[in-house]
Amino acid sequence: MHINEIRHRRNGLHCLDYTVVSLYGEGIGSMDLVSGYKGVVGLVFGNESSGSNEDSYVERLLDRISNGKLAEDRRNAMVELQSIVAESRAAQLAFGAMGFPVLMGVLKEERDDVEMVRGALETLVSALTPIDQGKSQKNEVEPALMNTDLLSREADNISLLLSLLAEDDFYVRYYTLQILTALLTNSPNRLQEAILTIPRGITRLMDMLMDREVIRNEALLLLTYLTREAEEIQKIVVFEGAFEKIFSIIKEEGGSDGGVVVQDCLELLNNLLRNNASNQILLRETMGFDPLLLILKLRGVTYSFTQQKADPGKEANRLTNKTTLVQKKMLDHLLMLGVESQWAPVAVRCSALRCIGDLICGHPRNLEALGSKILGEGLQEAALNSILRIILRTSSTQEFVAADYVFKSFCEKNADGQAMLASTLIPQPYSMTHAPLEEDVNMSFGRMLLQGLTLSESDGDIETCCSAASVLSHILKDNIQCKERVLRIELEAPMPSLGAPEPLMHRMVKYLALASSMKNRDGKSNASGNLYAQPIILKLLVTWLADCPNAVNCFLDSRPHLTYLIELVANESESVCTRGLAAVILGECVIYNTSPEAGKDAFSVVDMISQKIGLASYFLKFDEMQKTYLFASASAAQPRKSLTRSTAASMADIENVDENYLPDGKNDHPILSSIFDSLFVTLVKSLEADIREKIVDVYSHPKSKVAVVPAELEQKSGESEAEYIKRLKAFVEKQCTEIQDLLGRNAILAEDLAKSGGGSNSHSEQRVGGAADRVQVETLRRDLKETTQRLELLMAEKAKVESDASMYQNLASKIESDLKSLSDAYNSLEQANFHLENEVKALRDGGPSTFPDVKAIKAEAREEAQKESEAELNDLLVCLGQEQSKVEKLSARLLELGEDVDKLLEGIGDDVGLPEDSEEEDE
Amino acid sequence: MSYAYLFKYIIIGDTGVGKSCLLLQFTDKRFQPVHDLTIGVEFGARMITIDNKPIKLQIWDTAGQESFRSITRSYYRGAAGALLVYDITRRETFNHLASWLEDARQHANANMSIMLIGNKCDLAHRRAVSTEEGEQFAKEHGLIFMEASAKTAQNVEEAFIKTAATIYKKIQDGVFDVSNESYGIKVGYGGIPGPSGGRDGSSSQAGGCCG
Ligand SMILES: Nc1nc2c(ncn2[C@@H]2O[C@H](COP(=O)(O)OP(=O)(O)OP(=O)(O)O)[C@@H](O)[C@H]2O)c(=O)[nH]1
Ligand SMILES: [Mg+2]
Repeated sequence: MHINEIRHRRNGLHCLDYTVVSLYGEGIGSMDLVSGYKGVVGLVFGNESSGSNEDSYVERLLDRISNGKLAEDRRNAMVELQSIVAESRAAQLAFGAMGFPVLMGVLKEERDDVEMVRGALETLVSALTPIDQGKSQKNEVEPALMNTDLLSREADNISLLLSLLAEDDFYVRYYTLQILTALLTNSPNRLQEAILTIPRGITRLMDMLMDREVIRNEALLLLTYLTREAEEIQKIVVFEGAFEKIFSIIKEEGGSDGGVVVQDCLELLNNLLRNNASNQILLRETMGFDPLLLILKLRGVTYSFTQQKADPGKEANRLTNKTTLVQKKMLDHLLMLGVESQWAPVAVRCSALRCIGDLICGHPRNLEALGSKILGEGLQEAALNSILRIILRTSSTQEFVAADYVFKSFCEKNADGQAMLASTLIPQPYSMTHAPLEEDVNMSFGRMLLQGLTLSESDGDIETCCSAASVLSHILKDNIQCKERVLRIELEAPMPSLGAPEPLMHRMVKYLALASSMKNRDGKSNASGNLYAQPIILKLLVTWLADCPNAVNCFLDSRPHLTYLIELVANESESVCTRGLAAVILGECVIYNTSPEAGKDAFSVVDMISQKIGLASYFLKFDEMQKTYLFASASAAQPRKSLTRSTAASMADIENVDENYLPDGKNDHPILSSIFDSLFVTLVKSLEADIREKIVDVYSHPKSKVAVVPAELEQKSGESEAEYIKRLKAFVEKQCTEIQDLLGRNAILAEDLAKSGGGSNSHSEQRVGGAADRVQVETLRRDLKETTQRLELLMAEKAKVESDASMYQNLASKIESDLKSLSDAYNSLEQANFHLENEVKALRDGGPSTFPDVKAIKAEAREEAQKESEAELNDLLVCLGQEQSKVEKLSARLLELGEDVDKLLEGIGDDVGLPEDSEEEDE
Repeated sequence: MSYAYLFKYIIIGDTGVGKSCLLLQFTDKRFQPVHDLTIGVEFGARMITIDNKPIKLQIWDTAGQESFRSITRSYYRGAAGALLVYDITRRETFNHLASWLEDARQHANANMSIMLIGNKCDLAHRRAVSTEEGEQFAKEHGLIFMEASAKTAQNVEEAFIKTAATIYKKIQDGVFDVSNESYGIKVGYGGIPGPSGGRDGSSSQAGGCCG
């Protein structure tokens, strides 16, 4: 066929669509219509095309069908029409252009002529069935698709077809179902909408489920298509008794041995229950979950839908579902499937494990049931131990994630459960912990976990340790008692002679360092274990330190820890998440730090951050982490993909993801997204807010060395002049050092500001040089955003520093005036003293030798005090001047960045005219 | 879980008259003060006892909003009972009753038992439809009538149970072919699969919702 011609035809057909459609409503089947079509068709197709043979042939046949006088001739014409439409695309196309009104007319008005109706339906089936042409040309219209579209446009057609389902003739029903299935496959939405508007439409389809086998199976398929993502249809189907019917078919077909029909039933069942609370309630309240469990017991293909029971719906509904399911021994079946059936495919085991997680999550009774469940006959083992064993042993990422999910669910808001698990964590001698993981079913949970945590060291593989660390983090989550308890665990050094026992936590930090070094050694992180080793251990530490001052203390007990963390945060070659999490841990060392010990206290940590990383750059790590795909996607809690026939089959493929995974890419690695689940992301976000606040607070309010109590500036009764002056002098000295200190901080801040102001430019320039334009734009946009955020942060910090500065300024002037009144008072005292001395002198003329001494000393002291306080005052003024100029410099920079500085500086500085690059160093 | 009979109900009537509240009060003994617009239909279930026989009620609460009519009509045919609800404080909901009945006539089976409920009778001070008018309308159209309040639970149990009793009586009288499920009735364990002698349709209060 010639391309141009096809285009013509298509255009023509496009017009015809409307013609045909508008004609439908009128007196279909009347004789005149076909002649009308003849005109249109002749006009559109012309006569020169190679298809014109089919056109005119189809046209003639249609004419015979609508205008023929002899019943026999009309029937023959129908048979001929059917066979040509079944064979030729051209005929399908021609039929689509002319045939629908004619055949619909037959269906509507000649119901009694079963043979005609059958023929018409069979022709329609043929017109909607694609013909495989072998070499199909691109861009060519698929006539069958176009015909389905034409036919489904009119709701009347659908309703006509549905009405045919009530006919007695088997073929009439059978063909009708096939037509509906074809329509549904190609235009599902349109058909779903149409069927909803037809009263009893679904009822008719449902009746087909009770029909003879061939029809029933066809109807099953049709209903499966129809109920896909159509909640209202799902409900109506259930209203019409779908559950009973489906279960009875499953039973009839031999349950899980039933093959494809049972599978179709399950798929339909799955459609009806997934995300449909109303239907879940109905099943539970009417038939109960027994029939489901019956199937589950038989295993086979049937696992797929069970997880849906615990899926969305209203919270209460979900809980009731869970209760009912567990009462029905659902847990036993699932454990059987997920834990004990090692022959079952991994996808099935994972589904079962996740389902266990869903069942227990937030459901106290079910939690308890799992906690006390014992598995096995003869050699018995607690279910949780068996699941831990899976975690420590499996080489399947999916299985690890699924089994880990059980512990996550078990520990979530389950302090008793956590305590139970933690209570078994008792360190064993080195030789015992390092025996190979044996089949010992008598091994306690804690011993197994500790063994997992420490085993790997010897063989340099930390994968098992990470798996164990993940479980440990669930046990510690939000549970201060467990955190404290595990803090007390000390491990023997590999060779007792080599050193003192060390806390478990320190060992974990060691592994963290080991994980990074292994990664660095490889150059790239291709070993899958290493990829998430860091995040898992970091998550453990973040969880552990949260709200636990003792954990922070223990962590800081070892000096190098802090240094290591700082290096991790600053290390550009680490992933964004690693650096972000390390930053969170640093932050926790500030907010949960209760240590008074210098070098370990919150101030020291903050100082170290500001010196080694810079506050702005430190906070930036949080922003960067928030922006990662993992964080963003975890915040929008995603519903789990349902396990259907096809996803189950492709599940094995996920195992290969590891090899192709790119760090920081958009790839949603199953383990990483399991680590960064929404709960953890929420925790990190709330920690971040606290950290920001606290660090700015600590930084801007350094531990005040000078207690400013105005009353103490007065001379105390009984205090001598000299003492008083000495005290004041010391006070002023301290204040002075403090102001120096503040100035130092101010300088660091200014540096930070300078770095963040100019740094981002050079940074982006660098990137522009290497990267494509698209990346450049993206980078610039991000940089801009980051800079704005940094700016905001700095503004806040600066405001604090400024207010501090003004406070000290006030203080200084107060001290100044105090000093002045002091010296006045001193002068008058001096005066009085002088008089008294004279008096004394006059009274005791005889012994003057001792008194001049006092006088001289006093004069000396006075002079010295005056000199010194003058010097102090000068120093003070110099400091203040420097302070002022700093403020002015910062203001100038802020002004450049577009801030309303005057407003900020009200009452502090008056003009802001310093050049921006004046000298930096004042010390 | 086993029942002698299972009856399917629908609840129909204008939006906001309190259909969902009536269902909630009946199944959960709760009142929901905020109007949670029903989308499509919602399902509820409860076991009651009539004539010492456990009867399962499956209740479909439909959306009153006009735009859902085509969906909700699908539920008419298979229902044995309907609660037709209006709001005694809003006259227009009473005025629309005729059109609801017409819909029911057209799509439901002729033997469907309809209970007319004038809801929100706790709001007597805002009453816009008198009890007599309700009674009169019910009489004219062959409906059972009750005023009720989903808020105070007054007459809520009674409305559902009395409807069930009416259906039960019709079964006893042989009105239905109970083997045909399209009437919205299913025979369970201990039910009589067809007309039989026991004529007494006295009702009694049910236990709580069953699990
Ligand atoms: N005072 C009072 N308020 C009621 C009563 N029943 C329902 N309401 C209130 O009326 C409003 C509507 O109730 P719904 O049950 O949601 O109405 P509906 O008929 O289901 O409405 P649609 O779902 O839109 O069809 C709610 O704010 C209820 O609190 C009642 O008996 N007394
Ligand atoms: Mg409602």
